[in-house]
Amino acid sequence: MNRQTQTFNELDRVIHEPGRLMIVALLFAIDQCDFLYLQHETEMNKGTLSSHLSRLEEAGYVEVEKTYRGKVPQTLLSLTASGREAFQRYRKKLKKAL
Amino acid sequence: MDRVESLLKRPKAYGNIDGTGELGMGFMCLAFAPLIWLQLHTPKDSIWNQKYVLFIWVGLMVAMIYFGTRAIKNHITYPRTGFVAYRKQNRIWTAIVASVVSALSVVGLVLAAHSHRHIVMPVFFIGLFFAAGYVFGIARSGGVNALFRWKWVVVLAQVIGSLLIALLPEDLSAALAYGPSVPAGFSASSAGAFLLWLILYGTLLLISGAISFSLYLLHTQSPTEEANEPANADVQ
Repeated sequence: MNRQTQTFNELDRVIHEPGRLMIVALLFAIDQCDFLYLQHETEMNKGTLSSHLSRLEEAGYVEVEKTYRGKVPQTLLSLTASGREAFQRYRKKLKKAL
Repeated sequence: MDRVESLLKRPKAYGNIDGTGELGMGFMCLAFAPLIWLQLHTPKDSIWNQKYVLFIWVGLMVAMIYFGTRAIKNHITYPRTGFVAYRKQNRIWTAIVASVVSALSVVGLVLAAHSHRHIVMPVFFIGLFFAAGYVFGIARSGGVNALFRWKWVVVLAQVIGSLLIALLPEDLSAALAYGPSVPAGFSASSAGAFLLWLILYGTLLLISGAISFSLYLLHTQSPTEEANEPANADVQ
């Protein structure tokens, strides 16, 4: 196995999935956002986005906070410290592999 | 990899997706213009030439822009396309860069006005400088995107407008600012040209902001109550 293939194999599989990569990249640039923003930016449907978020939450990369904006329920999402570290590691490895 | 990098830039562009940045800047320029006109046309000891009036004016202007922007974001943008809180670090750097750029442009204007060259030309350079700032804004919000291409017309209008003001006969621009309170070191023509440029730049930004806002409303759907709620109960 050559070094490039090895580096690809070392990539974080949770982040490497295109949908989740999009979510993590968007969250990395901000402090927090709501579900609607991610839905608008990723153009995913609610179900797909929810399942990706659940996977990221399980991995400890995303924090989900349920709150209200006035009387409207709001789901706030942010990247955890370990999520930030994981994404930075992923970027480094991807650059190295390419 | 490029796709990842472009995704990282998208939240920055989202800040002005509704045109509030341009509307705020345009309002600020147009709100400064009448104050400067009043300062030039009234005696030096009049209320309009007192420093505290400038502070009150600026305070009111900043408050109106801040609360106006928040109202648009809270009632229109966030319910339509979602809420974003930016990292504090980014906001501090943006504020620092904006302050330095503004301070440098004012210092540039003062220095240029004190020089013995053509007194109205500094306005053209200030125009170019601010047009460059607008170009930076377009690049940040995805200048290659077809939705933002019309903004290059605004850049052209800013440059041509600034050039036309710089080429105006001096007595014409002086007529606008001729009064008892032209500051020392400035001629009535340079003050008049600056006043005209403020009105031009403010109007162009307001038009640009209004077009951005209309396009935003046109290309986004109005919200439904459950739009912000994830369908999957797993996300708690």
